[in-house]
Amino acid sequence: MSGSANKNLKATVNKRTRKRMLVIFVIFILLGVVPVFINLFYVQIVKHDFYLGKATTQQMRNATITPARGTIYDRNMKKLAVSATVETVYINPSSVESDEQAELIADGLSDILGVDRETVLEKTKKKNYYEIIKRKVEKEEADRVREFKVEHKLKAIELVEDTKRYYPYGNFASSVIGFVGTDNYGLQGVEAYYDEELQGLPGKITSAKNASGTAMPLEYEQYIDPENGKNLVLTIDEVVQHYVEKHLENAVIEHNVQQRGAAIVMNVKTGEILALANKPDYDLNDPFALTDEFELSIESLEGDEYNAAVSEYLNQIWRNKVVSDTYEPGSVFKTVTAAIGLEEKKVSLDSTFYCPGYYMVGKTRVGCWKHAGHGSETFLKGLENSCNPVFMQVGLSIGTDLFYKYFDAFGLREKTGIDLPGEAEGIPHTYENLSNPISLATSSFGQTFKVTPIQMLTAVAAVTNGGYLVQPHVAKEFVDDNGVVIQSVDTTPKRQVISAETSATVANMMEQVVSSGTGGNAYLQGYRIGGKTATSEKTDQRDENGQVTKYSVSFVGIAPADDPMYAILVMLDEPNTSVTSGGQLVAPVVRNIFNDILPYLGVVPQYTPEELANLEISVPNVIGSDVKTAKTELSNAGFTYRIEGEGQTVVDQVPKTGERLSKGSSIILYTAESATSSLIVPDVIGCTPAEAKERLEAAGFNIKEIGTLGETDCFAVKQSLAHGTAAAAGTVVEVTFLKDTHGAE
Amino acid sequence: MTKSRKRPVAAEPLQPKKSKSIDLPFLLMVAILCMMGIVMVFSASYASAYYKYGNSYYFVQDQLIWLILGVIVMFVMAFMSTPKFLKVIAIPSLVVAVGLLALVPFIGVVRNDAKRWLKFGPISIQPSEIAKIAIILSFAYLITRSGEKIKTFRYGILPYVGILGVVGFLLIKQPHYSATILIFAVGGAMLIVGGINLKWVAGLAAVVIPAAAIIFMKSSYALSRIQRWLDPWSDPLGKGYQTIQSLYAVGSGGLFGLGLGKSRQKQLYLPEPQNDFIFAIVCEELGLIGALIILLLFVALVWRGFLIAFRAPDRFSALVVMGIMVKLGLQVVLNVAVVTNLMPNTGISLPFFSAGGSALLVQMFEMGIVLGVSRYSRSGG
Repeated sequence: MSGSANKNLKATVNKRTRKRMLVIFVIFILLGVVPVFINLFYVQIVKHDFYLGKATTQQMRNATITPARGTIYDRNMKKLAVSATVETVYINPSSVESDEQAELIADGLSDILGVDRETVLEKTKKKNYYEIIKRKVEKEEADRVREFKVEHKLKAIELVEDTKRYYPYGNFASSVIGFVGTDNYGLQGVEAYYDEELQGLPGKITSAKNASGTAMPLEYEQYIDPENGKNLVLTIDEVVQHYVEKHLENAVIEHNVQQRGAAIVMNVKTGEILALANKPDYDLNDPFALTDEFELSIESLEGDEYNAAVSEYLNQIWRNKVVSDTYEPGSVFKTVTAAIGLEEKKVSLDSTFYCPGYYMVGKTRVGCWKHAGHGSETFLKGLENSCNPVFMQVGLSIGTDLFYKYFDAFGLREKTGIDLPGEAEGIPHTYENLSNPISLATSSFGQTFKVTPIQMLTAVAAVTNGGYLVQPHVAKEFVDDNGVVIQSVDTTPKRQVISAETSATVANMMEQVVSSGTGGNAYLQGYRIGGKTATSEKTDQRDENGQVTKYSVSFVGIAPADDPMYAILVMLDEPNTSVTSGGQLVAPVVRNIFNDILPYLGVVPQYTPEELANLEISVPNVIGSDVKTAKTELSNAGFTYRIEGEGQTVVDQVPKTGERLSKGSSIILYTAESATSSLIVPDVIGCTPAEAKERLEAAGFNIKEIGTLGETDCFAVKQSLAHGTAAAAGTVVEVTFLKDTHGAE
Repeated sequence: MTKSRKRPVAAEPLQPKKSKSIDLPFLLMVAILCMMGIVMVFSASYASAYYKYGNSYYFVQDQLIWLILGVIVMFVMAFMSTPKFLKVIAIPSLVVAVGLLALVPFIGVVRNDAKRWLKFGPISIQPSEIAKIAIILSFAYLITRSGEKIKTFRYGILPYVGILGVVGFLLIKQPHYSATILIFAVGGAMLIVGGINLKWVAGLAAVVIPAAAIIFMKSSYALSRIQRWLDPWSDPLGKGYQTIQSLYAVGSGGLFGLGLGKSRQKQLYLPEPQNDFIFAIVCEELGLIGALIILLLFVALVWRGFLIAFRAPDRFSALVVMGIMVKLGLQVVLNVAVVTNLMPNTGISLPFFSAGGSALLVQMFEMGIVLGVSRYSRSGG
């Protein structure tokens, strides 16, 4: 080391060194600290939300809690659709600790849940955190899974709550209720239409997780309660719906209906639907089920063809004809034409017409259903007879402008807005079309345009309820879990279409149709039923010769006719029978429905003096009484009697107590145990009511007439006990009479 | 011959004067940073320590032992080391450091794709840590010895380029770019302060920077890191993962942070959160405010170190102190730059914070040197 070097080593800090050190420090601050801080500010403050969001997404584990879906009730709070808690079993493959454990899980779960063992095993090997093993596991099975999990300390198996929908009555009201899919979304009916309200709001558990997906110890958890769905109270009445379904189903089977039948019962003042059915329908608990018959028919199909056939089949049976199908309403529409004509004073009840069996519209001859013609008749008779020439003339006198205007006003050019999914629009005439007299004339009796059944019934409701167009609806109100009403459906009519007087007049005309016209088969003792028949040609579906071969038959009934409350529309699409008349095929269905529901709905019977004379009275119980007392009691009640045996005490009676029979029917009283006499039932088919009564009474039986007006122009078509069967003396034989309402109106 | 004996000589009025005590503000700041560091090591590591080892204290207990050792080393150096002692060990330390670096390719241990460690029984050391302080000491010695000849190429450039070349070559072979950058930067700063002709600085920069860039570009290791830097989301679960997770942590901190101990990113998202990326957890838990306080503490420490250098008894001590402080300041800046993705990930640790025994030990050793020099500060200097 040289001397200078040694000296240098002892040198003190000079000015230049300090100056340059200061420069270094400034460079450090300016080029180092400042940029770093600016960048820190950028990332932490400017991009804070961005990074926090990203970080939160990866750090949070969200579990959704399905809210309880609202219950669906009928108007009397009978449960029609309920949700029960079930569970979803899933595994977290990343928590599967070993191959042995995977095998154990596969064995256990396949055993308890009945799932495929290999599938489970495969899922344990997946590289994620969530593999569903089985959905909608009932509590009992879920409990067994939990036991299995605890017993073997299997962290990988997890369960979450879910809900499952049950429909306690199966097929019942399926068109209205609908069903939900596996993801709990409504697919049909009100389940679909009110899905949002029924669903509620899902809850959420948010918990922090670490990068391996397991919950962080001692880290926060946030729980957001699910908001349960609202409970829906329908306007549907379970009892009414039950009768409607029963009678519709019978009719569909009896008349071999090809394209299903539909029926609606509506409160004409409020638009509430009390019953709505399509037959055949489907089981809400198993909506994807195929009938054996159908499965057999598609046995030969494969792949896409098979799937297409199945889906077409399901869509057909799920389809709600009432709102989704359009049809030519036929003669039922005459009530609307009548209302327009009367309202606009183009016609009055006693205006006279002449029907030669056809009417010339310009140079075109349009026939009446009765080829021989109705001859001279009043407007009222025209409706009773369902005479087409009368209505063509009325329609033409109304004219295109007014007809078009009222067609609109009756809501036939728009959807009714009923709260059911899939409502179709009708296919009305355009104004230009309607300007053609042929279109106007045929429209007047309900052909050449199409409406949905619900549109037609709503229009008839407006015609008969005092003139108001109501909003048809199936939801009455929403209630919370304590039954407190959250929200009620507004029943204010949309508008008044015709005057109350016109409405009353048409209702009265409709009553005449039943009491002395083509609707006679809807007659019901004690109730003032109004109605109108229809046999509608499917004019848009002709065979190769241009002939109409397909029909739909329908009947609209109202009751009570003096102040209509309820309207029923029953429609059978393509019945396959020799007779094709709404009056014969459908009017009895409406009658049967009214018969069952009017007493239930509290409509008080009003008998005419004639009906009073024939009134059915209830048989009293005289068993156990001594013969003398029994005789007096029966006489007082209006029955005759016959005594079998020598005893002093009545030991049996036929018919039994509670049976309703017309006055003067004979009750057989037995005074000895063994004395019951057996008689042979005679054949009364084809008889008039009087003949049938005579024959049965002569044979020792009592008669119960169904569907008569006490008139003679009807004949028996059905007897409850077949000809030749043996029955106790005095047994009541129900005989159904049908009025021959001729061919197609 | 002691310096105090020279004090009376009037011809040298700026002779060093032995002060009685070490620089207390400097010591205080070191102490605060050490305490913050150990707290953060615990906070950052307890979750992953728990998951991996079932013991939340796994990392912090090690770090605490090293810190205690470090404090002892610091005080030993603070009270025992003299400028003369440092001059004596300057050149031998360089020889030892180069020797150890030269051993790495042969007996080094590979960790995280790089061969940087030497293992002697239970103790593993990073020769690069020793090389850094050795460069500081030897440069200070050589610069001071050269006196005014430092302005020449032969004395001012050649030996240093030679030393940096050898050390740089050995470091790049590992590869250890952050250490290379640090050593070059610290060496360069010392040469500038040491008085080299500034035209050489420009010339050197013109040669070294492109050369470094070329070497960097040719290395696939470096290239993949750059790619990761420019677009960490191009491979979010692979190469970009650590950077993305670090940004998530820093970004979610916001102004005030999630609170001490409340980091979520340390829950196995950010790999090895107690190491090079510990500052990300600091930012997440303490927010921009906390990060700024720590940054300002470092700046204050560096400034205090520079003051000690200003008042140093001689040029040699001044250069050593300045070199140490430049190294520390640079490490902080580079570390924060990496954590916030301002710079590609080079594996640079944060002084006093990042867990790691040998680095902490060397750090405390250096602080001891600074404190030792501070004992000889000239009053009013």
